[in-house]
Amino acid sequence: MSIAAAPARPRQRAARAVLRRRGGVARTPLGLALPVVAALLVFSAFPFAYLLGLATTDSTLARPLQGWVGTENVQAALRSEAFTSSLGKSAGFAVGASVLQLVLGTALALLLRARGTRLGWAGVALLLPLVTPPVMVGVAWKLLLAPVGGAFASISSTLGLGAFNPLGSSTGAFASLLVIDTWQWTPFVCLLVYAALLGVPRELVDAARIDGASAWQTARHVVLPCIAGTLVAVLVLRLVIAFKVFDIVYVVTAGGPGFSTTLSTFEIHREALQNFQVGTAAAATVLFSLLVGVFVTVVSRLQRRANGVAG
Amino acid sequence: MTQSSRRDFLRSGALLGASLAGLPLLAACGDDAAATLDPSKAAKLDGVRLKLLVNQPNLGAWKIIAADFEAETGATVDISPFPYDKITSQAIRDVQSGAGEFDLFQYWYAALGDLADGGALEDLTSYIDGAKDINTGDFLPSIYDTYTLFDGKRWGLPFDGDTFLLFYNRRLFDRYRVEPPTTWDEYQTVTAKITKDSGGDVYGAIVMGQQVPIILGCTFADRLVGFGGRFVDDAGKPQLTSPEAIAAAEALFDVAPHALPTPLQTGFDQAIPAFLSGKAAMIEFWTDMSVMASNPEQSKIVDDWAAVELPVGGSNTKHGTSLNAGFGVAVSSASKQKEAAAAFAKFTASKKAQEHAIGEFGTGADPIRTSTLKSTAFKQTFGDAADAVAAGLSGAPLAWPNGPGAIDKLQTLVDELALGLQGKQSAQEALDKAQTAWEQG
Repeated sequence: MSIAAAPARPRQRAARAVLRRRGGVARTPLGLALPVVAALLVFSAFPFAYLLGLATTDSTLARPLQGWVGTENVQAALRSEAFTSSLGKSAGFAVGASVLQLVLGTALALLLRARGTRLGWAGVALLLPLVTPPVMVGVAWKLLLAPVGGAFASISSTLGLGAFNPLGSSTGAFASLLVIDTWQWTPFVCLLVYAALLGVPRELVDAARIDGASAWQTARHVVLPCIAGTLVAVLVLRLVIAFKVFDIVYVVTAGGPGFSTTLSTFEIHREALQNFQVGTAAAATVLFSLLVGVFVTVVSRLQRRANGVAG
Repeated sequence: MTQSSRRDFLRSGALLGASLAGLPLLAACGDDAAATLDPSKAAKLDGVRLKLLVNQPNLGAWKIIAADFEAETGATVDISPFPYDKITSQAIRDVQSGAGEFDLFQYWYAALGDLADGGALEDLTSYIDGAKDINTGDFLPSIYDTYTLFDGKRWGLPFDGDTFLLFYNRRLFDRYRVEPPTTWDEYQTVTAKITKDSGGDVYGAIVMGQQVPIILGCTFADRLVGFGGRFVDDAGKPQLTSPEAIAAAEALFDVAPHALPTPLQTGFDQAIPAFLSGKAAMIEFWTDMSVMASNPEQSKIVDDWAAVELPVGGSNTKHGTSLNAGFGVAVSSASKQKEAAAAFAKFTASKKAQEHAIGEFGTGADPIRTSTLKSTAFKQTFGDAADAVAAGLSGAPLAWPNGPGAIDKLQTLVDELALGLQGKQSAQEALDKAQTAWEQG
């Protein structure tokens, strides 16, 4: 049913006063969209146009947009081992952190839901990591993980377990970032999933139990389909946020040791603001955006399927 | 609105965006036609407010000098400290964005080419030439040109003449019965012995290897000058694959396993407390470590430290030092009161201001003038380290590159060295790659 064909109630008539008919389709006057268009221009189109301008010109921090260089900056970014390897590390970090947090957050939410409908002190505890600024999270964990004088190193030494320095090795440093990110973001996942769980109809769960379904079968075949859409939406959100992680890398590992934890965001920052090669950094940003786009597209398709299941 | 007019609207928006994109560039170009500064014309200073971007570790010195300047002229100086690794980008962005918030910049001399070439600095050539009271002949010859000269022009005045010494903990040396090393081989032996004999209680040395030029670059430069190598030759050709440079990198990689864990994680914030708490026996550091080590409020080794010149290596027997870090002061090209800013720059580099800053503890100031090296203030502040500092600065210290792109090149060098420290490549491989990158520019 089109708007034009709808029965004309007083409020609808008033609303239709600002509509015009064009070819049988009602359109909102473009003037009403101006604030949105202006906002998009300022916050989206302009930065993107500027980014493309930097990526295709000879640009340093001091002298941007010096002259057209075509794809030279893209080629320079692709020649940079630090950047190309950072793409894989960023993808690994984002997928690893998101999946880990989704599993842990969902498990935690199921446990909390089993306790009842009120979070109580658990809610406060869950919010603490979320409301802590990422820089402070990084500083706190850096102090905890310091090889000399750090809390974990001291405990390890006291227990006679020898040196404890995860940030000194490639694997340890990467794992440490995953742990820190998981510490901060699992509560976010937990809270969203918990809210979704509250929306699962009680009668469905009761019916499953009456039919003899075990707790696992109930969770797998009744609860999970109900919250599948939320889970995938949370996964998309976490993926995007995890791809953008910068603060904890900057504070805790500074991309090291070597390039072991140099994720793309950190490498782009380094290229632009430490090496002043803004053109290459802009090209790297475009390439990185494409990578993020691929991942988000794939997961968005999953979301549509999940919504289908839920529906 | 029709489909075509909608497209027109969007097209106009895109053009507007593209136009806006060019605004910062236009703003940056606006000051190119600045008038030449005239030192014979007395700058109006009374009531003037100058804004200054400085390197945070030098804040103490700036406060003293600014107070003297304010008392003498009636001007006001607002000081904004920034971390050492942010001052260059902050200065460039201040000018390039058109903000023009600062009148003067303290700059790292290795960034001089990037700043001058980027249009961030005012050309002070004629001003300095005309201002005889600056007494440029008193500036340390090893510092003056390196810190201020680029492309045949003077862009600033020296402010802080940083060099490194090898500091050691006498009590730990006595306990483990070792002598201060004079060669990098001895340094390696002493480091390994202390770390091994202490069973992990203390470490033989602190090797600062954080992957930024001003840290890992300094650590490499200490060894490079010790082995008699250079970054570039007189013609500017990179010399990173010379036998001396390879030996320097090997010496760095070899000591890493015995140093405070781990060199790649070690920057100022780890190194300083570790040495001052007696957790490590040696550290190569800026000369102001002598001030920190003597301060009972932050040091547990007040009576236990000493300093010697950096070791030598290979066939080189002449001790030297490298101009690690080191800062100048320049007038921003975006300043709206350049005469006053230049007058303040001149004041900061004066004999009187320098001696006052150096005579106080914790200012982070180091000599830039020959007369300062001979002053009582310098000898009192630097104590036992004074002779070693004077010897290093009076000789021919190793200068770092300071042309356009130098920061990028230095970052490439430390990136490759970091991979070497991580055990992922040899010294030869690391420096081959760095040499290639430097040659490609």
